[in-house]
Amino acid sequence: MADEFIKGFGILMVGGLAWMTFAGWYRTPSFEEAQLTGEVTIENPTVFDQIGLVLMDAFFWFAIIGALTFWVVIPLIGEAREYLDERSA
Amino acid sequence: MSDNDTNDDVRTDGGGTGIVPPDDETPTWSERKQRTQGLSRLTYEYFERSRREDQDLRQESDYVERDVLAFPAWPHEMIRNLALSAFFVGMILFVSAALPPEMPNPANSSVTPAIILPDWYLYWSFGLLKLGPLNPSLSILGGQKIMADRTYGVLANVVVVGFVAIVPFLNKGSARRPVEQPFWAAVGMSGVIFSLTIAALSIKNLIPMDSHLLFDLTFLLPVVSATITYAVLKTMREGYMFDLNRRYYRLRPPK
Repeated sequence: MADEFIKGFGILMVGGLAWMTFAGWYRTPSFEEAQLTGEVTIENPTVFDQIGLVLMDAFFWFAIIGALTFWVVIPLIGEAREYLDERSA
Repeated sequence: MSDNDTNDDVRTDGGGTGIVPPDDETPTWSERKQRTQGLSRLTYEYFERSRREDQDLRQESDYVERDVLAFPAWPHEMIRNLALSAFFVGMILFVSAALPPEMPNPANSSVTPAIILPDWYLYWSFGLLKLGPLNPSLSILGGQKIMADRTYGVLANVVVVGFVAIVPFLNKGSARRPVEQPFWAAVGMSGVIFSLTIAALSIKNLIPMDSHLLFDLTFLLPVVSATITYAVLKTMREGYMFDLNRRYYRLRPPK
């Protein structure tokens, strides 16, 4: 259980840090406005900008889904397997 | 397995431990992972192993009296400290390089800002100044308040700071972990949550919430958190090895 926790936590932190970096570049219009959640106002995005925008969303969902996978899905599968083994035994 | 392993229950009476000190048969990692006794058990085995190594050292023929009950600074402590320092230095370098902070215009000292606030770490004290609604009006004084709201706020600061100041002089007892004293741990958690809610109250103009609701939550959330903390810690007492700390502090080199 502790291993699943630290795996999910590591994914949440690493993915969150990468998302925070990209969102700081593309979704933070000003220091005194919305932080990390503002509108993407970039004009004529280059190829690098488009890659960055895709990576921003990718890291965000990687952090969320990855953490949920290790904290919820995999323990649920383990519990279900244990339950089925007990019932069949 | 030793003789003590006949009873499966975890013993907390300070008697036999039921734990085989790992000497020649240190369990593999897969064996460790199969253990479901939790962190307390792992911690116990850790110290039990260090005690065993200490004992082996003492029984060597060329043993001289010295404080061997410790982990050597090199490499154990140094590697850990270097890893932690490298992580934080790396984070500082990464954040400052990837997300350099904007440097706005310097503050105009001749203009009073619209919203006057202290630095964020003083919000709790600022919030204590806003406890006017709690200032009781006494009917004996004809419905007047016994002191001005601002005096009341300053007094609230004196009370809170005074309480925090006497904490070091209170007898902490022998408990070393929250699970050993759930009540006082719950009191501490309510204090932590109160310091956050009172800080939120101090900036109630900036918080998108009804200010009366926020005021009620300021005092309700600490009670809720204390209740949850108490319940969780009470639940955690089952299976907690109360012998752990006592044993750890007993592990001293003999005179």
